[in-house]
Amino acid sequence: MDSTFLFSILLIAPGAGAIISLIPKKKIEIISSLISAALTVGISLILLILGVSGSTSNGYFYSDGLTRIMIITISSIFLTSVIYSTFYTKKIKEPFLKFRWYYCLLDLFVFTMLLAIVVNDLGFIWLAVEATTVTSALLIALEKERTSIEAAWRYTLIVSAGLVISLFSVILVFYSQGTLDFTKLIEQPVKNTLIMSMAIGFALIGYGTKAGIAPMHAWLPDAHSEAPAPISAMFSAILLPTSLYAFIRTFTLLKDAPQFAEMQSLVIGFGLFTALIAAIIIGNQRNYKRMLAYSSMENMGIILVGFALGGIGTLGAIIQIISHAFAKSSAFYTSGNIVIAYNTKKISDTQGIIDKLKSTGYLFILSCFSVTGAPPFGVFLGEFLILSQAVQSKNFIVAIILSIVYMYTFIGLNRQTVQMVFGQKIDEGYMSYNSSVSSNSELPIKDDRTINEVETKEKNKKENWVSILVPLVNLVISLIIGIYMFPIVLQSVTTGLK
Amino acid sequence: MVFIIPLYDDIIGLLGISVILSSLYMQGQSYVDPIIRAIAIQSLFIAILIAILFLQNGDINLLYLAIITAAMRVIVFPKIMLYQVRHFKHSLREKGSNQKTPSLMLIGIIVVIIGYTIFKTVLFPLIPDTQQASIPFILLLLGFLLIITRRDTLAQISGYIQEENAILYIGAIITPGIQLLTEFAVVLDIFGVVILGVILSKQRNVFRTLDREVIEQLKG
Repeated sequence: MDSTFLFSILLIAPGAGAIISLIPKKKIEIISSLISAALTVGISLILLILGVSGSTSNGYFYSDGLTRIMIITISSIFLTSVIYSTFYTKKIKEPFLKFRWYYCLLDLFVFTMLLAIVVNDLGFIWLAVEATTVTSALLIALEKERTSIEAAWRYTLIVSAGLVISLFSVILVFYSQGTLDFTKLIEQPVKNTLIMSMAIGFALIGYGTKAGIAPMHAWLPDAHSEAPAPISAMFSAILLPTSLYAFIRTFTLLKDAPQFAEMQSLVIGFGLFTALIAAIIIGNQRNYKRMLAYSSMENMGIILVGFALGGIGTLGAIIQIISHAFAKSSAFYTSGNIVIAYNTKKISDTQGIIDKLKSTGYLFILSCFSVTGAPPFGVFLGEFLILSQAVQSKNFIVAIILSIVYMYTFIGLNRQTVQMVFGQKIDEGYMSYNSSVSSNSELPIKDDRTINEVETKEKNKKENWVSILVPLVNLVISLIIGIYMFPIVLQSVTTGLK
Repeated sequence: MVFIIPLYDDIIGLLGISVILSSLYMQGQSYVDPIIRAIAIQSLFIAILIAILFLQNGDINLLYLAIITAAMRVIVFPKIMLYQVRHFKHSLREKGSNQKTPSLMLIGIIVVIIGYTIFKTVLFPLIPDTQQASIPFILLLLGFLLIITRRDTLAQISGYIQEENAILYIGAIITPGIQLLTEFAVVLDIFGVVILGVILSKQRNVFRTLDREVIEQLKG
């Protein structure tokens, strides 16, 4: 079977899902999105199993190991986000968009991300990355709060303005190499290396803005914290890596040039700076969704360092992309459960989650452990490999900074998470009600039962099987990546990745 | 079909200067609608410039590019934005902008000088055959300045279109062959941003009166 067909179906599925979502028929948007998501997962798995590499016969698509990993990650998070959306959107009373439009934009958002990954042309990669902004901006404003509308506009403007710079990078690549066809670019020796270095610098700033690389990250915490939980999950898990992917494609073009070492140092510098800034800020957050957003930023910084270091660092970065995607989406889904139950994003107002939402509490803390690199989750493996590469290549300063970042983030984020889940907050309303009940000895026992029944019903409203199962599945996948990938990683190290 | 255009370099230079002047004019406006009209005029200058490049080089892609630029950037986008101003009671003037515009104009002039110096010393040695690229480089910086210094959605969109104009300008000068693709991409992109801006700006008007506590939520 020609892989062009598979790539075409991969793109047609979410595109068709988006169009069908707009048919004014009850629940059609959910059904079409679910079917298109399931189809993309199926096609991604086939592509992964077949191990399709190189460009397709018509030259429109390009695929390698990184492409296949990105496709399966995007598809899986798409599926889980659609499923979780069926739970989350029910809780939104006055949406900014009709839900039909929400699912349509969600499908288009995935379509543009998949296009950015598979297309064999740097110009179209840029176009697809830019199109992700247009398709996703209104999704941020879904809850129609003043802050979410402002966050959506900030996101649109900052990211679009940043991507103008990466368009300049695309122009410079064309100017220096005479083509934007990715297959031709990797096959031919790189020309005008000075201009190409400049192009990579601009690409770093442009795509880096979208990937949340400091100091261009200003939109990221706002958008992640104000978007509905399934959208925050998609932003963090797949949108940021998609932008990094676009940059990596440009960056690797220079690998045989004498200027590569300088550019490598520049990229490592930006990556470390991002991770360090995020690690410092993360512990002082008052909003738990912003805290998770900074954790995404930290992970992107580390992944960038991994790619720039090369060797097993690249492998570490790829493992971190997949495992971070599953773990962070799990964290954002559970944060959605918390938002629904508490109606606030403040850390100080969400203490003692375990008493109110037992399953969510455990899932939230485990997801946070996972994204901060606790063993045996996949992020730990990715971070470990990147650190190993830094040590192996004698970049000791990089290794020291990375160690500080790992430690600082782990402590900073999990300290707050533990407080949220296991901390005790005196609920004034609840206490005064209880004290009035206990002080009034004339009240019959039946009333206590009634209170318990009300609480149980209330709880059932806030947690259901979708809200627990979806983050649980993603968390388990993150765990499996950490455990199962280990023999594969060892094998790769011994068979030439050195 | 190639024409010999008299005073070709002078005309190109004059159009380039006009583009920069239109950008400085935008920096000095406190009302929104003159900014929108200025961006339309600036786009017209760029469309004329591309049409002249077509006459000089005979590359038919440049003609298509000039037509698309004139249709979308000179007519469609400004029309959408001006419609927003008139029919949705978009506030015409940003609060306090009349006090800051003279200094913004001055900052704009400083940006022009700094931009030209950076181009001459850093970028020009790398791309020696494109001296005219200093104008889009300066335009890009002025576009950023407009976005950074304004809070109004439509003024920020104008800054964004100005940035895209800069890319179009530089693309037309240094990379014949790529422009049509980039212009299609950029037109779609601007169209998306303009529509988003129009949708969100109506809601943002409410946001302008927000209390401090709400802004605090987007800090840190």
